[in-house]
Amino acid sequence: MLRFVVRRLMLLVPILLGLSILVFLWIRALPASPAVSLLGERATPESIAQIEEQYGLDEPIHVQYWSYLKTVAQGDLGTTIRSRRPVTDELRERFPATIELTFAALLFAVTLGIPLGFAAAKRYGTWVDHSSLVLSLLGISIPVFFLAILLKYIFAVELGLLPTVGRIDVLIDIEHPTNFYTIDALLAGDLAAFWDVIKHLILPAIALGSIPLAIIARITRASVLDVQNEDYVRTARAKGLAPRTVDARHIFRNALLPIMTIIGLQAGLLLSGAVLTETVFAFPGMGSWLVEAIRQRDYPILQGGILFVSLVFVLVNLIVDVSYALINPRIRVS
Amino acid sequence: MVVFRRIVILLAAALLVVGAAGCGGDDDDGDGGAEGESGGTLVFAGAADPVVLDGALVSDGESIRVITQIYETLINLKPGTTELAPGLATEWEVSPDAMTYTFALREGVKFHDGTDFNAEAVCFNFDRWYNFSGPLQSPSASYYYGAFFGGFAKNESEDLSDPLYKSCEARNPTTAVLTLTRPSASLLGALVQQAFSIASPQALEEFNADAGTLDEETGFRPTGTFGTEHPVGTGPFEFVSWTREDRLVLKRFEDYWGEKAKLDELIIRPIADNAARLQALQNDEIQGYDLVEPQDIPTIEGDENLKILDRPAFNVAYVGINQAKKPMDNLKVRQAVAYGLDRQAVVDNFYGGRGVVAKQMMPPEVEGYADSVTEYPYDPDRAKQLLQEAGLTLPVEIEFWYPSDVSRPYMPNPKNNFEAMAASLNKSGFKVVPKTAPWDPDYLGRVDEGNAGHLHLIGWTGDFADADNFIGTFFQDFSPQFGFRNPELFKLLDDAEIESDRQTRIDMYKQANELIMEQLPAVPYAHTKPALAFRQDVEGFVPSPTTNELFSTVTIGGGGE
Amino acid sequence: MSVAQAEAREIQLEAPSGLWSEAWRRLRSNPGAIVGFVIVTVFLFAALFAPLIAPEDPRSGDLDRLGGVCCPGPSADYWFGVDQQGRDVFSRVVYGARFSLLIGIVSVAVGLSVGLVLGAAAGYLGGWVDSAIMRMCDIMLSIPGLLLAIGLVAILGQGIWQIMIAVGVTQIPIFARLLRGSILAARESDYVLAARSVGVRGRSILASHIMPNAMSPVIVQGTLALATAIIDVAGLGFLGLGPQDPATPEWGTMLTDTTRYLQSAPHLALIPGAAIVISVLGFNLIGDGMREALDPRFRGRA
Repeated sequence: MLRFVVRRLMLLVPILLGLSILVFLWIRALPASPAVSLLGERATPESIAQIEEQYGLDEPIHVQYWSYLKTVAQGDLGTTIRSRRPVTDELRERFPATIELTFAALLFAVTLGIPLGFAAAKRYGTWVDHSSLVLSLLGISIPVFFLAILLKYIFAVELGLLPTVGRIDVLIDIEHPTNFYTIDALLAGDLAAFWDVIKHLILPAIALGSIPLAIIARITRASVLDVQNEDYVRTARAKGLAPRTVDARHIFRNALLPIMTIIGLQAGLLLSGAVLTETVFAFPGMGSWLVEAIRQRDYPILQGGILFVSLVFVLVNLIVDVSYALINPRIRVS
Repeated sequence: MVVFRRIVILLAAALLVVGAAGCGGDDDDGDGGAEGESGGTLVFAGAADPVVLDGALVSDGESIRVITQIYETLINLKPGTTELAPGLATEWEVSPDAMTYTFALREGVKFHDGTDFNAEAVCFNFDRWYNFSGPLQSPSASYYYGAFFGGFAKNESEDLSDPLYKSCEARNPTTAVLTLTRPSASLLGALVQQAFSIASPQALEEFNADAGTLDEETGFRPTGTFGTEHPVGTGPFEFVSWTREDRLVLKRFEDYWGEKAKLDELIIRPIADNAARLQALQNDEIQGYDLVEPQDIPTIEGDENLKILDRPAFNVAYVGINQAKKPMDNLKVRQAVAYGLDRQAVVDNFYGGRGVVAKQMMPPEVEGYADSVTEYPYDPDRAKQLLQEAGLTLPVEIEFWYPSDVSRPYMPNPKNNFEAMAASLNKSGFKVVPKTAPWDPDYLGRVDEGNAGHLHLIGWTGDFADADNFIGTFFQDFSPQFGFRNPELFKLLDDAEIESDRQTRIDMYKQANELIMEQLPAVPYAHTKPALAFRQDVEGFVPSPTTNELFSTVTIGGGGE
Repeated sequence: MSVAQAEAREIQLEAPSGLWSEAWRRLRSNPGAIVGFVIVTVFLFAALFAPLIAPEDPRSGDLDRLGGVCCPGPSADYWFGVDQQGRDVFSRVVYGARFSLLIGIVSVAVGLSVGLVLGAAAGYLGGWVDSAIMRMCDIMLSIPGLLLAIGLVAILGQGIWQIMIAVGVTQIPIFARLLRGSILAARESDYVLAARSVGVRGRSILASHIMPNAMSPVIVQGTLALATAIIDVAGLGFLGLGPQDPATPEWGTMLTDTTRYLQSAPHLALIPGAAIVISVLGFNLIGDGMREALDPRFRGRA
């Protein structure tokens, strides 16, 4: 087992190195210089040249890459162009926001998706099955941003039930030691603030969770159908166990394996969706941060941010694979 | 199953906590009404977060909005106008050669940190700017200072010119004397800009306003905390806290020299999406926002809880023409463009009733606006005829650029303007090839480098009421954006800039405007009144033509609820 | 990971094998798939015969129709109303089907063709070629799909073709992995071993034995990828990376440009939005039906 983990970890090195080169070269291939983004409406060719020199953008490319790699290795991701703050500072604020949102979205998807898929499988071929199928397909057929806009319009603007933008009401003032606002609110012992943070999470989480919900429901249905015909389930039934006990002890537990895998695999999907959801809800997370940075050619944010997101994503996949192997010994052999 | 049960329990627990919190939340709503005189809190949304709260180091509107509240300048604009009014200086005297300016300073003014405002503080600030070195000289940091004063004590780049500033002398605590190296006719007007905000010398030093390292990789890295955590000025609001991308909190400065701010607190928050700003206002998450889109105006006006405030038009939206691209060097072709643009239809349909068709490259309110210039009403046949006279075969293919995902005060929805203009040009003998790029930096970069095709959409909002700030900025020198050299126009604008006799100067600018509309280096199409939206119970906001409004006169909620 | 990736994983987990005639029979008895076929047929019909169906040129309008108010809703003259440039929305929606079809086909063609070559090379050649290709796929997959596409568009420049290619590129590693996986599985299967033992040449084994059997998951994935591509292109359009010519009657662009009118003229956004959802649903229903039909586990059940 240990060897398996070590081998998987070793595989990370070339991926991360390749990724850093890819991101680095990509930025150099962009058509506009970041200098223009600094100067905005008032740029002149002279002032652009000056900024490029100042930022070391006029040096040979391998020199730039090498010094980039050196500073990254020291945990220094540079200073952003727009806000002139260390990238790591902004990362510390943005990343927890997206994690919180992603977690809320997954919670929504799991608590609804698993029962839905389970019900569909138990009533295979009936209207319950068909309508759950159509419902879940509808979930992956609606553009995330369109769903987000509709949800916001209906529940926030028309009904006024929930807030439209941000992570917390601006009139609520609590400390943010962790930048996970739910945790911060609980640490501050402020339940009103906690409730407010939750209210800000509901709509974005539903919009973001719709696709994972559909996928989880379908996987659940498929694996429950799978397990249902296994010999041990038949044996259990034959033994005369109550159907509910069979469902719980045998079918559900064994169907959980592929479900867990697919839940883990939602990380990247959620990050893609977060780009759009965060934009609609003005939610200050990684997604809106990176999109803004691409528009404004904020190189340091892009280099650091994409590298970090990818690292997290690769690590999540690693954890999924390892835990999968832990549960399912057959994998380890191959 | 264990996992499933655990999830259910967790969920139930979460719901319980949420429910309990929900109950607790309700009693927490009144905004601390216990204190005697409560002015409440106003939350206002801009489109982006400020960059840094140091007037000398920014040129973006969102930073300037906040800086306007915290700091003051020697000279103010009378609220809602572009007329000069006393600021930190109560009176000023200009020497006959226009090189020495003597300012009588306001007495009894304190900075937020308790130190005194006086002539030494004024000179400290001027000397600070003049002595900027290294990256602080770059236009990305001190654009406005560089643009007006030309250069610094020790210029570190060939692009900078000789400094206009010579010295500042604190003759006595209430008299500061500014000496220039050459005459300037527009110094007083320029001094209203937030770039020339007077900051507390003690805070500037204590919090290392100018400190920073020059990082090989990422350039200037500020290490001081003046502009991010300790901005100290004399304005009606003082800084409380700033959570990036979330909120910037200001509170009333109790020792303000003039009429104190009515609000207890002013919170500025960034909401990038236009529709999101409107929705947040409807939902009362914010009580005001800037950059209202035209199609939302009827919605806001139709909502009894909301209202629209218009700023005076102090901008110009125009179609830039790049004469370096053939056949735009031919005057007849440029005239054909002017006749082929249905500017009236654009203004009627996409400016929410807040626009007028522009006839000159600057707004009528600015001195130097010509009494009459050549006009070009929409006339497709005339345009075709001109193209034929120019010896071209129809249709004439031209590249026309517009910026994507941006809203500017003078151009709320560039795409709409573009589509209508392209359609009318296509009816006038042209064949438009549409091109677009994200506004900043791609689009602006292309425009500045002269790479934005034959025609491009852009515009300008005035910084101060001087023709030099409009047509001087556009056409005083060769620029790749327009790609032409017209010695007559260049010289006229050069002379006008330094002319000290007011009437002569005005006449020169009128003449320049006539010449511009004859030569058509660009086709102006709209002056607009950029709109702001507020909740109905917000009172006392005075919209300014330069878009820099003070919130100290604003009240919320009237007397009762 | 994108939806397409999740689905690719799912397909692999289910390891379908194909008896096409039986699959077809089961597909026909699946009500979801039938609805899907109906939707896609209408969609294809609109795309192919747009000039005959649409009453007006989708690109040119008349601002006078607005009368200064944006925008008149559905009426007898304009079934789906008039848009902010005075154009007939119905005509634009009909022509939009063409663009969506084009987007789906081009993106999937890019992803499929490159992915298939890479996947076949990796799966069949094995060794360092396999490792190199798979590491490359890993790197590409470690960047969230939408960000990768945005990054590519940033280099390629804005435009409808650029977006299609970018979305296609994000699908390359998915197809490559999928095909490699099924080739590896097929290579060890009895019929291939049998063919090899009687001396059939390697290339011919790949062409006539391995590929056909490895293709069925690819076909399912292709159908689903078509749906994903339409959604992803709309998403990129929403981020302001859509076609250069704003007059282009493309659903994603139409939806994006008009979300700002949601309060004053909701039909402008809702109609193209519904068009996207319905057509994507159609492709998803068919893809899902095919997957189920090809899945041995469901054999004999329906």
